[in-house]
This record gives sequence, C-alpha cells and structure tokens, in this order.
Amino acid sequence: MRTFAGLLLAAAAGYAQLTAEQRQLNIESFEKVWTTIRDKHWERNPGGLDWQAIHAEYRPKIEQAASTEQARQVMRDMLARLHQTHFAIFPGNVYEDVGGAVMGGGTPGLETRVLEGQAVVTSIDPGSSAERAGVHPGWVVTRAGDKDLAPMIRKLQAVPELHELTLERAVEAALSGPEGGDLAVTFLDGDGRQRTMNLRLGPPRGAPSRFGNLPVEYVWFESKKIGNIGYVRFNLFLDLARVMGEFGKAVTGCRGCDGFIIDLRGNPGGIGGMAMGMAGFLVEKPDEKLGTMYMRDNSLKFVINPRAGAFDGPLAVLVDGCSASTSEIFAGGLQDLGRARIFGTKTAAAALPSAIEKLPNGDGFQYAIANYISEGGKALEGNGVTPDVTVKLTRAALLAGRDPVIDAAVEWIRKQRTPQ
Amino acid sequence: MTRRFAIFLVFSACPGWTFADDALPKAETILDRFIEVTGGRAAYEKRQSEVMTGHVEMTAQNLKGTLTRYSAPPDKSYTVMELDGVGKIEEGSAGGVAWENNPMTGPRIKSGAEKAQSLREATFNGPLNWQKMYVKAETAGVETIDGEECYKVVLTPAEGKPETTYYQKKSGLVVRTTTVASSPMGEFPVEQDVSDYKNFDGVLLPTKMVQKVAGQEIVFTIDSVKVNEQITADRFNPPAEVKALMEKK
Repeated sequence: MRTFAGLLLAAAAGYAQLTAEQRQLNIESFEKVWTTIRDKHWERNPGGLDWQAIHAEYRPKIEQAASTEQARQVMRDMLARLHQTHFAIFPGNVYEDVGGAVMGGGTPGLETRVLEGQAVVTSIDPGSSAERAGVHPGWVVTRAGDKDLAPMIRKLQAVPELHELTLERAVEAALSGPEGGDLAVTFLDGDGRQRTMNLRLGPPRGAPSRFGNLPVEYVWFESKKIGNIGYVRFNLFLDLARVMGEFGKAVTGCRGCDGFIIDLRGNPGGIGGMAMGMAGFLVEKPDEKLGTMYMRDNSLKFVINPRAGAFDGPLAVLVDGCSASTSEIFAGGLQDLGRARIFGTKTAAAALPSAIEKLPNGDGFQYAIANYISEGGKALEGNGVTPDVTVKLTRAALLAGRDPVIDAAVEWIRKQRTPQ
Repeated sequence: MTRRFAIFLVFSACPGWTFADDALPKAETILDRFIEVTGGRAAYEKRQSEVMTGHVEMTAQNLKGTLTRYSAPPDKSYTVMELDGVGKIEEGSAGGVAWENNPMTGPRIKSGAEKAQSLREATFNGPLNWQKMYVKAETAGVETIDGEECYKVVLTPAEGKPETTYYQKKSGLVVRTTTVASSPMGEFPVEQDVSDYKNFDGVLLPTKMVQKVAGQEIVFTIDSVKVNEQITADRFNPPAEVKALMEKK
C-alpha cells in the first residue's frame, strides 16, 4: 500500500505545474550538466559536436519544460547526442539509492551478488559475525534492518543506465551501518526457511589503506593453491606496496604451477598503474601494452614491463559485473594480447572514472571523463570485457559449496597441461 | 617525470654578461653567465659528489613523500622517493645505463630518447658540460615570466626533444624550463619553474621546483645538499630486480 501511494505521489509531483523556484533549479541543473561536459569531457568537441550549438538548441527547451520529468528528459536528450555511455540523469529517488547511498563503517561480513533479482550470499568474511552465526553461501538476503531488498533491487534494475556494480553497491550499503552496532538481517536459507539474525557490524575485511585524496579503503589479498594451480583474489587495486608485493610473491612462487588464476570478481579497480605492474609478472614479450587512455590533453599508454622470470603458463582471469576500471583494463588487455583466458560474466563496462554528482534539482548526474581503448582497439568504457567462457554463479551451486567460475577455469588449465 | 627535479636545466659559463638591449646575446654567453652567477667554474669544479635531500608533494592528489638523490661524476646517479600510499620509487644511472624501479609499473631499463634524457640529467656538474650534452644551443628570444624579462634558450640534444630554458635577464638565473619527457607510456610536455636559490658550498642551487606534467602539479623542495660526502660505490648499483633484467638481456 505504501509503495503504491509513493508511486502515485511521485507521478503527481512529476507532472505538477512547476513553481518558479523548481523551474530555476531545473535550469541550473541543465547548466551544470552542459558545463561539466564542456569542461571535463576528454574531447574538446564532445562526441564530435559543436557543444555551444547544443547549448543554444537545448536551453530554450529546458526553459519551456513544464515538469521535472520533462526537464530530465531534455537533459537526457542532450546527453544522448553524445552517443556515449556513462552519461546519465537519474531521478532523485534513484540517486539516493546509488550515488547518495552512504555506507556505514561496519559490515556483517557478507558478500552478495544479485542473481535473478535476489541478493544471494556469495562469500563470508573469515572471522565475521556472519561466519559465527552460520550464514552460508547461497542464502538469500531478503531484508536488512528496515529495508526490504526486493523492491529496491526491482527499482534499480528498472533503470537501464545503471550497471550491475551500482546495484551491488546499493545492496552493500543496505547491509552496512555504524561499526559496533547490530543489524537485523533476514535470510532465506537453503531449505527455503526464513531466518532473521542479529549480526554485529564489524570493521571491513582487510587492512585500512589511504591513497592521496581517496577515503580510507580496507584492502585484502588472498592467495592459495588449488591442486597445482595458483589462485589469488584481492578486493581493490590499492595498498600498492603490500598488494604488489603479495601478488609478486604468489606468482613467482608458482613458477612450476600448472596454471594461475586471478580472481577479479567484485574488484571495482583502484590505481590504474598497478595493472601494468602486475602484467609484468605474467608477460615475457617486451614492448606490449594493455591499452591506451585518452584524456583531453594527453594519452597514456598502459605499457607492460616484463620481469625477469615472468610466469608463462596458462592464465585464467575471473570477472563479473562488479569487475570495473583497473580490473577491466587488466583483464581486457591480457585478453587482447592472447595472454589470458577470461571466465565469468561481462564486466561493469566502467573502465574509466565516472563520477556521479547531485544536481541542484535533486537528480543524479553521471559522467565519464576519459576514454580507454584496449590493445585490441575496443573501447572498454560502455562495452566492458566479454569473457571467453561465460559462466554464471547460481544459487544452487553456492548452496552446494561450489563456485562454477573457478571450476571452469581449473578445468581449462588442467586441459592445457594434459597431452592431447 | 620526477627525475626532472634534478635540475637538468643548468648549463654553462662566460664572464661577459652585459648585453645591448636590442641584440640577443649568444646562447653560449647566457649559459656561461649562469655559471658565473651561481658560483663560478672553480666552485663547480671543487664538487666531486652531492647528496640532496628534500620532499615532494602532488598537491591536487594530496600525495606527499621524501626524496634523496646521490650524484657523482661522470653520470652516476641514484634517486629514491618514498611516496605515501605508493612506496619506494627508485631510479638511477651509471656507466651509460639508466633504469627505474617503480612499485606500480615494475623494474625497467630505459632506452632511446628516455635513456638519453636521463643520462643528460645525471651528468655531474651539468652546467660545465653542456657542450657534451647538446649539439646546438640557440637564443630564441625574450619572454616575460612573473614580470621579469628572460632570455629563452633552446638546447637541442643529439637524441630526444629540444629543451627550452629561461634565464632571467637581470639575475642570470634559470627560472623555467620546458621540454617533452619521453617514456614508453608516451610523450608528455613538462614545464618546471625553479626558484629559491640557496648557496650550497659555493654554488647556488634552486630549492623549489614546481613541475607541471600531464595535468598534475608536483612540488619538489630541497632541504639539504651535502657536497663531497663519501658515497660508497655500491650506492649506484641497481636493485636486484633491475640487475635480473640486465642479466636477461
């Protein structure tokens, strides 16, 4: 009942006659969008357009917009002229769920993915309250605190411009809160029973790391062997000295391995340069590069500096819709060079920093500021990395304690070492 | 790009430095005057090693760190920068080899124009040796920087892009350099403003360098320069990762 009432109110608000103040806020929003593209787009003539002429064309339209919805559409039409992805206007209520979602410092220690419209637990942080409570991969999170997740997921999935990464972040935000507090989380377990657990919110997994102006991020790195195959996973390309050191140790310690797996699922990126350094442990041939980043005044080649004794065995990189930015640069470049086989699902298609800002009228505005072309000539922004072998996680597999993506990579590596 | 902090911009000497207003002096004259106003040939020639310490800041990114540079004749150089959140960035040269060991991009041996540029910057007492470093030096005009007229001198190396240095007419000191830095990642225009000259054992050196490259501003501040300190020979040896690359080649 509350949902319907909300929808009706939203519709009424959208089509009601604008006040002079609302009209002015829409005009200010339009100016902010237009100016941002003029000043920050990587092309001096964004999208090959005469951007000043675009202003002259759309400014009268925004002045005539009779509703916020019409004003939003004017701005969307203007952005559509770019024919480029990651330029979007979100209604204010969507912005609150994505760009405006404020994560608390505490977490119950769950990682989830939205699978078939449900937030499914994919892994549990070691030592977390979720682990102590006996939460199991494959369980569905239906409610976090006072938030039902299904309606939020439906609302966000209805916005085609939003990519998976944004959706997962909204779920993550719902599952966070002040550290030391408790969060009531309702699950659907493997037997279809509802279970509500009061989970203590602990610090995020990993060690805190600061890089320049970025907020403190918790970074973790794990390394293990699956039979005679090396496996690493890390959540961010940050904490440079530690993560590069651990990565190097894992790869060089695996020279006799049958293969190596780098799991970038859920990794939203970080310091772009680290992709080059890591690739140097895996590529022997000199003068190779992952791709080129094009900004307004410069281009930056992502070159690989091969290390002495680089690993030359079969290499699998695992990705999903939450693998973004540096993860895509790394995976896409190695795929283009024919050095790695990619497993999983298509990446976030957010190979570049794109910012989301709040507009004066309350809407959200997303824009990209650079273009990145992978070594194979493809723009990763908006396209992402398409795996060589598409493998999806399923709730059934997670409940059975399996990870079908890792299984597929292991099987491929073993075949490479088996005499045909 | 950070190597440019090493003041490669300094050059040569000649006592006759009064110029007619309407005639541009020869580049050699401007370069020689620079040597004179910064201490004179004899003061430079007394120097056999240098250990420079300071700090670095990338203001927009809020990255800070420390730097130390060891130099000795003829082209021995070792610079280490410790940047918060990045770690230890090393670069060096000796015996005609130039290298870098960056925790982000890995170890590498420089080649081509980049190597040539690094070796020029590593040349000890560069101002005395400009004829060895450049095949041509020309005065290209007069430009005003911060309200002061400066001679614009273009120095062309045998390999790599020309470097433009601006010498203040009044003081004879270098105040700006511009060039294009070469690297495997691309070519990047670099502009560096130098100031706050201080006397270190008889030679004036700038202690503040503001470098603009690829849309970033990097500020280098020199805190101390020790001259003729004993530097052990192994200080200029490359780290193990770079040595491994040299052996591979």
